[in-house]
Amino acid sequence: MSVLPLDAADDVLTEVAPPPTRRRGLPASLRRPGPLLAVGWLLLVVVLSFTAPLWRPYEVNEQDLANRLALPSGAHWLGTDPLGRDLLSRIFTAGAQPLLAAAVTVGVAFGIGIPLALIAAERGRRTEQLISRGTEILMALPSTIILLAVIGVIGVKTYVVMAILGVLISAAVYRIMLGVAQSVRQRLYVDAARVNGLGSLRVNTVHVLPAMATVIAVQAAQLFGIAILINAGLAFLGFGPAEPAPSWGIMIQDASGHVYDAPWLLVPTGVVLALTVVAANVLADALAGKAAHVRAPARSRASGPVRVVDAAPATPGAVLEVRDLTVSVDDGPQLVSDVSFTLQPGRVLGLVGESGCGKTMTARSLMGLLPDGVSVSGGSILWQGRDLVGLTEKQANAVRGREIAMISQEPMVALDPMFSVAYQLTGPIRRFRGVGRGEARTIAVQLLRQVGIVDAERVLASYPHQLSGGMAQRVAIALALTGEPQLLIADEPTTALDVTVQAEILSLLRALVRDTGLSVVIVSHDLGVVADICDDVVVMYAGQVVESGHTAPVLDDAAHPYTMALLGANPHVPDGAPMPTRLASIPGTVPAPGSWPSGCRFAGRCQFTQEKCTVPFPALPAHGNGSVLCIRVHEVHDAGVRWHPERAGAEFVPAAADESAPTAAPVPTAGVSR
Amino acid sequence: MLGYLARRLALAVVTVVAAVLISFLLVHATDGSPGAIVLGPGATPAEIAAKNAELGWDRPLVTQFFDYLGHLVRGDLGTSIIDSRDIAQDLAARLPVTGFIALFATILSGIIGVFLGVTAAVRGGRFGTFITSSSGVALSLPVFWVGVLFVYVLSIQLGWLPATGYVAFADDLVGWAESLLLPVLALTVGGAAIVARTANAGMRVALQAEHIRTLRAVGTPAWRIRYVHALRSTSVPVVSVLGIQFIALFGGSVIIENLFALPGLGQASQAAVSAHDFPALIGVVIVATVVVVLTNLLLDLVVAALDPKVRNA
Amino acid sequence: MTAPAGAPAVSAAATVPALEVRDLVVRYGSGRKARNAAPAVDGVSFDIAPGETLGLVGESGSGKSTIGKALLGLQKPSAGTVRVHGQDVTAMSLKQRSRQVADLRVVFQDPYSSLNPSRTIGQTLVEPLRLMGVGAAEALRRARAGVESVGLPGDAVDRYPAQFSGGQRQRIAIARALVCDPKVVVLDEPVSALDLSTQAQVLNLLADLRDQRGLSFLFIAHDLGVVRFLSQRAVVLYRGQVMETGPVDAVTQAPRHPYTVALTSAAPVPRPAEQAARRAAREALGMGTAGAASASATGCPFVPRCPLSTDVCVEQRPPLRLLDQTLTACHHAERVPSL
Repeated sequence: MSVLPLDAADDVLTEVAPPPTRRRGLPASLRRPGPLLAVGWLLLVVVLSFTAPLWRPYEVNEQDLANRLALPSGAHWLGTDPLGRDLLSRIFTAGAQPLLAAAVTVGVAFGIGIPLALIAAERGRRTEQLISRGTEILMALPSTIILLAVIGVIGVKTYVVMAILGVLISAAVYRIMLGVAQSVRQRLYVDAARVNGLGSLRVNTVHVLPAMATVIAVQAAQLFGIAILINAGLAFLGFGPAEPAPSWGIMIQDASGHVYDAPWLLVPTGVVLALTVVAANVLADALAGKAAHVRAPARSRASGPVRVVDAAPATPGAVLEVRDLTVSVDDGPQLVSDVSFTLQPGRVLGLVGESGCGKTMTARSLMGLLPDGVSVSGGSILWQGRDLVGLTEKQANAVRGREIAMISQEPMVALDPMFSVAYQLTGPIRRFRGVGRGEARTIAVQLLRQVGIVDAERVLASYPHQLSGGMAQRVAIALALTGEPQLLIADEPTTALDVTVQAEILSLLRALVRDTGLSVVIVSHDLGVVADICDDVVVMYAGQVVESGHTAPVLDDAAHPYTMALLGANPHVPDGAPMPTRLASIPGTVPAPGSWPSGCRFAGRCQFTQEKCTVPFPALPAHGNGSVLCIRVHEVHDAGVRWHPERAGAEFVPAAADESAPTAAPVPTAGVSR
Repeated sequence: MLGYLARRLALAVVTVVAAVLISFLLVHATDGSPGAIVLGPGATPAEIAAKNAELGWDRPLVTQFFDYLGHLVRGDLGTSIIDSRDIAQDLAARLPVTGFIALFATILSGIIGVFLGVTAAVRGGRFGTFITSSSGVALSLPVFWVGVLFVYVLSIQLGWLPATGYVAFADDLVGWAESLLLPVLALTVGGAAIVARTANAGMRVALQAEHIRTLRAVGTPAWRIRYVHALRSTSVPVVSVLGIQFIALFGGSVIIENLFALPGLGQASQAAVSAHDFPALIGVVIVATVVVVLTNLLLDLVVAALDPKVRNA
Repeated sequence: MTAPAGAPAVSAAATVPALEVRDLVVRYGSGRKARNAAPAVDGVSFDIAPGETLGLVGESGSGKSTIGKALLGLQKPSAGTVRVHGQDVTAMSLKQRSRQVADLRVVFQDPYSSLNPSRTIGQTLVEPLRLMGVGAAEALRRARAGVESVGLPGDAVDRYPAQFSGGQRQRIAIARALVCDPKVVVLDEPVSALDLSTQAQVLNLLADLRDQRGLSFLFIAHDLGVVRFLSQRAVVLYRGQVMETGPVDAVTQAPRHPYTVALTSAAPVPRPAEQAARRAAREALGMGTAGAASASATGCPFVPRCPLSTDVCVEQRPPLRLLDQTLTACHHAERVPSL
């Protein structure tokens, strides 16, 4: 069953949910050649090293003085060292120690780091500060030198030294794990478990640790590689296993002494050591999902194939005309199907609908700002007579800001946190109006005043994180006005704001339209916002326009069952009217892109569905020069039939309805609560 | 801002004291004593005890510690028990060698790494994949192995650079540069790889940020979005990782100095370990810690300068 | 307004309140700076009678979420008391609470992070039951029944949260809250993250379950319309203080506090002509913009935005007093215009 998440705007590529049973086998990230090879090599090295005494062709000290510094041959597959000893045997015999030693380091580091992080994340500020200060000190100590000091004091006791390395590194592990643990603890299911009385230990083991598993695995793999390198490095310096026991580090040290006369000696040991560490890091990368496959960022679009523009003449006076706009995932399903609407200058048009209806994609396509992997696949967007579809990136960029501007939902993240407000405003002002720095600043102050910011100077000097939500949105509006655009696209501009702030922002937008003749396309899910500010409205459902027209007729006398249901679901009843005991709800869920039925896409949830709703039909005119996409509009709306809240019966929806998108099978006449 | 710096400074001081404490305890935790080291294996316990008293080793631990701290504040690190040279002087002479190698390696890693990482993020596609994979390999290579390889190729085969040895800056500028080049290059292989990865990841995250869409919506040219805005966001993690690199290179200098026969701190620490020269050991730990701590402080300053959220917290 | 079927008129003196909060104060952080800063919750008191739903309304910074956390034991109160069915739980640790007062449960706002994605629905629902000492088989049976009572199929217990939509996940969260048969449920903005039609489904469900089981709800929300649908009484919060409280129809239709007036007049309705009239009325009020200078430590917190404020408002924190049908914290409540 494929389900759209709430914020469908960018998260287009939804996954099909996994089957109920737990997945078996390796996760997909590991099933690529790189990680598989890495795991294979690591297993090989581990097995060969720990079983070396069983299979090695020569003993580690077996000298073959006639064959010193020999290149690979049938007798010695990897050659021999300065004393004629077989390299193959020595390399893999030497392998057991670094692998074990690295495991000790990893074990100690995580054995200390993870519990400390879990405790610090749980206990609150003071404990966390205490532990964090302590680990900061530990991290600042130069670890290699301390290790040497330890060796200097206790002698070459490899496992003890590697354990101490683990203690030193546990500080870094703690730092990373603390961040992850804190973020996991923010998740509400941890709070829910705590409220239910789950003890601290179980909260950590059952809820927090499993969520950290990936990070732990990645860090462990990386640390394993680092520990092997440090171990070999110490051996290289002579602080490894005593001669004649072989170790990778000493063998490379020997090789460095013979680099003049026998350079090959360097290769076998180095390659085995390097490959082992590389394998650990490849594994870490795969686990982190940083697959070798990198998706290319959006390239500038060359103009596409010549688009045949609809022969019908443009609506006179319209400043924006969208015709049969279709937006799809590249090589994937449609997200917006044949959407059409027009906008006259100085008017506000609302694109309204719930999540996943395609309103945001429609709005973004007006500016050519669709996310990677999504593009316009049909139709045209006529802006003052020019078609915006098929423009090159350069041409589109020339339009942005100057003629069409945009503000979006979350004002706090819409501004660059690293630059001051002044910088972010004056840059575009200078670019658009060709003025110097001083004058640009004056204009910036004017713009801020225009959007209702009284202490403009202070705001100019501020950084985005110092502003409140409402203030940040005003700055964003000022930014949009820097190019003196004629069209403003507002993508849910007040959704993230408090209702009193929302009222102010809407007043501001209304004032701007009135004073400057700006045209606005506003995307919203709130019919109240639409009623407040929009002159025209387009109601969208599952990528289509289901109803459109002037706001008053559409909202006061909705023709489409979906619009009726939305209005019925709104708890803001008219003054004096009694509160209903039931809100109108719609059974089931929105069908996801890719599983849209032919015919009416609302048929599966509509109270008035009939056979004829399941085959494609055209939109019918309604509300003057608007439209409605309902084949039964004459029998339903025109006949006075309305969406009945009591019969919606949304609560008891059997599994079948959730599982599949509504199929083509017709539902019998009105009044069914499924 | 000032409060932030004051706290970092306090932490720095505590760290140095902690380093002294740890090395002190470490050294005193063993049975071996300086007297035994100096007099050699043939000495009798009485002779050893006498020597220890002479060296001040038999005083209570706390007294020795504070006495040492007192000397430390005046810049006196004591004398080696092996050859009685002044440790502070010796290490001061060696510090530039290690310091410059770590510094040059860090700078070179930074330049190459940022260039490769940012280009990989902006271009994407095959180049991006190539950078990600090859950096993964490069940072896994043991630095001593890479060093010897470089010696083989650049010194022996091509004869461009001297294999080992150090020429002092004061003696011959060109010779000095030549003697440092191979070690720096060997260290840069891994260093640049790590920086490239950080820059690549940082840049990709930065380019996906919400405010990038705002910049595009206002018609900002692509080069500005990438190299002014996104790069600025990336600069914070890159600077952090460069700082860590410097510290790691500084601490790991032992291996490089051994390979290239350079008279730096690393060589001193190796010698001190082999000879069980405890005062010298403690001295090296302290000098290294001070350098690390100062670098961290500098890093904190730079990050605060770059990131307004840290500045105006 | 949905009233519980056959609920008797509640007399606070006669029955023990399901939830009783007195003079709750919550400060974040510790140290001198925290002590001098304004608390997140500054002296809030209210009662919830058994079977009643109380709506806690406010915008961001009002302290409503903090109150929820403090009631649940997730945030330690700095002062004040919380009683559940007469039992003082203010200082209890979470573990003590769950053992002694297994009666207070929660439904959170975000359906996507309130269910552990790596555990099945069944495991999630069984967890609180097992903690109460219910046997494994019985717990599973009750989990299944719980899932069905919220309109989902019984075999949902074997599925993972990722297989459900936002609205369905909220229903599962409700099932989790109800599976232990609590008396009081804290609903922390349970429908704020849902689409309108889904919101309606969940609200209808909450009303049904409440009526069937006689539950008490603390309904935290920012939308007055939604609060009016589900609650009998409402408390309006601003900057951690109670501005007005009373029967929900009185508070929303005939508010006597300037802030409540601002809140009710700001919420847009989907009827253009009516909305235009409301807008005109709101603009005539002359309320200050949000985000204006922060309030003084004494006096009414709404002073920077209030068109009726005078000197006494700055100096003295207004006490809650009865006016018409609601308790209002305003020195000039008589002069508050009606919408």
